[in-house]
Amino acid sequence: MSSWRTLVLRIGEKCTEYGANIDFKDHLETCFGVVRRELEHSSDDILPFLLQCAEELPHKIPLYGTLVGLLNLENEEFVREVVEKTQTNLQDALYTGSCNKTRVLLRFLTALMCSKVLQPSSLIVVFETLLSSAATTVDEDKGNPSWQARADFYITCILSCLPWGGAELVEQVSEEIDRVLVGIEAYMSIRSHVSDTGLSAFEDFDVNDKSHGEKDFLEDLWSRIQDLSSSGWKLESVPRPHLSFEPQLVGGKAHDLAPINCPEQPDSPAAPSDISRGREKYEAELKYPQRIRRLNIFPASKLEDIKPIDRFVVEEYLLDVLFFLNGCRKEGASYMVGLPVPFRYEYLMAETIFSQLLLLPQPPFRPLYYTLVIIDLCKALPGAFPAVVAGAVRALFNKIADLDMECRTRLILWFAHHLSNFQFIWPWEEWAYVLELPKWAPQRVFVQEVLEREIRLSYWEKIKQSIIENAPTLEELLPPKGLPNFRYTAEDGRDETEHSLSVELKGMVKGRLASKEIISWIDENVLPTHGLDVTLRVVIQALLDIGSKSFTHLVTVLERYGQVISRLCNDQDKQVMLIDEVSYYWKNNTQMTAVAIDRMMGYRLISNLAIVRWVFSQSNANQFHISDRPWEILLNAVSKTYNRITDLRKEISFLKNDVLLAEKASSKAREELEVAESKITLMDGEPVVGENPGKMNRLRTRAEKSKQEEASTRESLEAKEALLARAINENEALFLALYKSFSNVLAEPLHDACVDGILQSSEKGDEMAIDPDDSSAMDLDTENGGSKKSHSNGKKGGDSYNMKENVQWCLTTLAYVKSITRRFASEIWPHAEKLDAEILTEDMHPLLRKAIYSGLRRPTTGP
Amino acid sequence: MASLFKDPNKISAYRDKRFPGNQEEFEQTLLKSTTVYVGNMSFYTTEEQAYELFSRAGEIKKITMGLDKNTKTPCGFCFVMYYSREDTEDAVKYISGTILDDRPIRVDFDWGFQEGRQWGRGRSGGQVRDEYRTDYDPDILSNLLVYVVLNLSYEGGYGKLVQKEIEAQRQLVDYNAGSLGSFHPIMPPPQYGRRHERNQGYGGSRRHGRDFHHRKRYRDDDHRDDDRRAPEMSRRIPDHESRRDFDQDSRPEKNPRFRERGDSEEDDEGDHHRRRR
Repeated sequence: MSSWRTLVLRIGEKCTEYGANIDFKDHLETCFGVVRRELEHSSDDILPFLLQCAEELPHKIPLYGTLVGLLNLENEEFVREVVEKTQTNLQDALYTGSCNKTRVLLRFLTALMCSKVLQPSSLIVVFETLLSSAATTVDEDKGNPSWQARADFYITCILSCLPWGGAELVEQVSEEIDRVLVGIEAYMSIRSHVSDTGLSAFEDFDVNDKSHGEKDFLEDLWSRIQDLSSSGWKLESVPRPHLSFEPQLVGGKAHDLAPINCPEQPDSPAAPSDISRGREKYEAELKYPQRIRRLNIFPASKLEDIKPIDRFVVEEYLLDVLFFLNGCRKEGASYMVGLPVPFRYEYLMAETIFSQLLLLPQPPFRPLYYTLVIIDLCKALPGAFPAVVAGAVRALFNKIADLDMECRTRLILWFAHHLSNFQFIWPWEEWAYVLELPKWAPQRVFVQEVLEREIRLSYWEKIKQSIIENAPTLEELLPPKGLPNFRYTAEDGRDETEHSLSVELKGMVKGRLASKEIISWIDENVLPTHGLDVTLRVVIQALLDIGSKSFTHLVTVLERYGQVISRLCNDQDKQVMLIDEVSYYWKNNTQMTAVAIDRMMGYRLISNLAIVRWVFSQSNANQFHISDRPWEILLNAVSKTYNRITDLRKEISFLKNDVLLAEKASSKAREELEVAESKITLMDGEPVVGENPGKMNRLRTRAEKSKQEEASTRESLEAKEALLARAINENEALFLALYKSFSNVLAEPLHDACVDGILQSSEKGDEMAIDPDDSSAMDLDTENGGSKKSHSNGKKGGDSYNMKENVQWCLTTLAYVKSITRRFASEIWPHAEKLDAEILTEDMHPLLRKAIYSGLRRPTTGP
Repeated sequence: MASLFKDPNKISAYRDKRFPGNQEEFEQTLLKSTTVYVGNMSFYTTEEQAYELFSRAGEIKKITMGLDKNTKTPCGFCFVMYYSREDTEDAVKYISGTILDDRPIRVDFDWGFQEGRQWGRGRSGGQVRDEYRTDYDPDILSNLLVYVVLNLSYEGGYGKLVQKEIEAQRQLVDYNAGSLGSFHPIMPPPQYGRRHERNQGYGGSRRHGRDFHHRKRYRDDDHRDDDRRAPEMSRRIPDHESRRDFDQDSRPEKNPRFRERGDSEEDDEGDHHRRRR
């Protein structure tokens, strides 16, 4: 006999607890039978567990709703508590802005309504509360339209309930639900269309915003719900187990729900400006992010059987599993493949996961998580899923030129990692044609970067082996074997003086000379005779060579001889030279170049500003469109700066807490001392003020000590706050430098490549745009010899690539402007005024301005 | 999230005997730790490979390879230290059980590397090397305790220097003195004296004969004939040449991967998880 716990948890699943039976009615009867008996003794355990199951396994909500309905016939009091607790949880979720919880609890209330547990009118009241809050928010006069993201979220929540209970609501309270729907229609007419600019996975470099014709997420959902309504609220994807129990359920008492409140509108800033409004909107969208942006990578033929509303519901299921079962690999995968729907949905599942992997500005979890999910699903559905994944990869590959740069990078990292889990097997011959494309063609760069990442996870020979059988020519795209390039290795052509100096220095390191001794050797014997350039070259090359054997070797050398380096490279010019030497030494190994620079920045041997300067030097800028190498280094530098600021913020919030605790402890100790001091004690028969001396001393010491502790905690807090203030200033300098560099490096090329503000794609002067029908026409079938077809399609795509080099350079660089801006937008927004004054000036090229604005999700005003 | 399926006792399922504290403290430490233990790695996996994989969970502070006490070569485990706890959790959640270098690796929280904790590490010893501190003080680099990473000891030359230094340090500094010091107890105890003899014994071993960073280059003639590799992989390598190379070149070396368990008392200490499990 299985325990009530397992039965509740596993209800609706094909599992041993329920035999091989998968009939929902039987499951419910079995589960109800057991839970009913346990209710008397364990209701305190059952209630929270049941709610937890409903919250965390929301695809089974109809079952949990029905179960509660059945329990309602047995124990009204218990169910009243369920309803109350759900209300409390919902209220908390609304106040704390927990989007997933809010949405799921509303769905649960809907299911309770279906099972006659909840008065339908109570649910309507909840909807009306949300609707009214949303309508107020978008009202120009009374509300704060910058927070439309929250308003949209509330409406999404209402609409999301309707697939689960629309039919019941219409049947029981048709007038009221009509009123809600009319209200939503009115809301739709006053809210503003949400443009996808800056967050769409596919680039649109056209100056004219094309996205106007497309529905935004809420408009799209609204139209799906309208379709659902006009088809009599019938859909396939939501099980309706309560129907089998309808005759019994109607006998239950329908409970009321205490009213809920939406949090107050955040006030508009006192002096509203474009920037302050933009900042507020950005913040609102961060708190109430859009859950999914559909990629539409598969041709309609793969999905046509699924009605739009069922698509929506399945996406909800999948996103919920991804969210709530994060970290539970086995269960997550098995729920994803076993959703309670009567149709196949592998393509939809792949598209949903890829849409999360590529979600902008960032997915709910690290890309690594989705990598794992895809791996697990490939293992769970070995016959079906790998081919679908391959189809997705092909589709994305074919549109790679349009793919947002951040998405492209995530795709590269994911793909290499994915292949590393499946023995690096991939039909590379399909992509061998990229060799015929110019070096800067995005597809070619994609293949090259995937191979680079594969090698980092594995090793050169192995990856060569993996491509050699099917696509030997692709070897050309492999990076060089990652060996060091020590300046003084080759006998011919090396500078013998420098060589012998480096031998001498290495000898000193081997002889365990301390930094100090090496510094004085440099100061006395090297610098005066050979000058700075030679000295720097020799010292850096020698140290890098000594630290070349592994990451740890490098770290050790930097820790031991960092002082030598910092003394030699004491200003930005020399730090740039230092990076040049690193890059020279590790020219064959991008990873080590990046790691070495990153570590040097870690030890503050190199400033982030020096890195920015180096990345934008001519020779690197020339690589922008053909290699990810300079970008990786740039992004590392910005991320590292950002990470340390994040760390500081965290430390400060801990310290603030510590200060409070220390204050409390200190005042308590003082009080105790005062109390003791005020006492009169008899000593030697004489009344004396204060307690006995021993105790008084203890109390005094304690009061003293806690006061000191309080002061020292406060001091460390102040110190950290000062550091944060400095770090924020440094950050401002970093972003100013970054945008100045972008502006400088782009000015001329943009001017040359643009005609009428539009980048010209080819010699013929075609506008850069990929035919949108191209992707839908692609055949992605992989099961029956489809790979050939897809090859020819890819080929076609390849042939049609005719971008001039300078145009591609501009496109790539602008794409990075946008993606870097977006990634660090939260750190950039505080400096928006300064950026406007110093960078975003009148003479900035409109395309660059557009890239920055869309990265910030800042509404464009004026030209 | 999703506590429904999480075994609340899991974090305490293992207990490192060398942990200086009681069970509760041990669990508390694991809950705060920013270090992960990585096991079941290929002996040929490099730090750089681990770096590439583990950096996908977050910014890495440090990687330390576990070394075989006799050969001073990597022996299938390492420690990865992150800056943030969230990243550490993600590494455990998302990387454990996935493939690195053809092997499914396991990733667990590790109690190591926690500076300044209750079991008496030195005054923020390791923190001195905490990189890119915003409160950077230029003197910090000069004040560094000269400390040493054990990995270096598998090399002759420079590594040897460094080893001597460890020995010197061990005389002077208590193991609790710094992050690295605190790390010793769970690493293979350095067998410096014996190492030399061993080296004589395995004089021909290619690991010692060649520069370590050239390892990748020679990997193809590394033994790709490990029976434990995925069968497809072995089939995919038609390279009989390299296998012969391996036979000639490396046979004399006792393959560390097939090292018998319990060779000696210290052996288990090398890999504390083996002991724990």
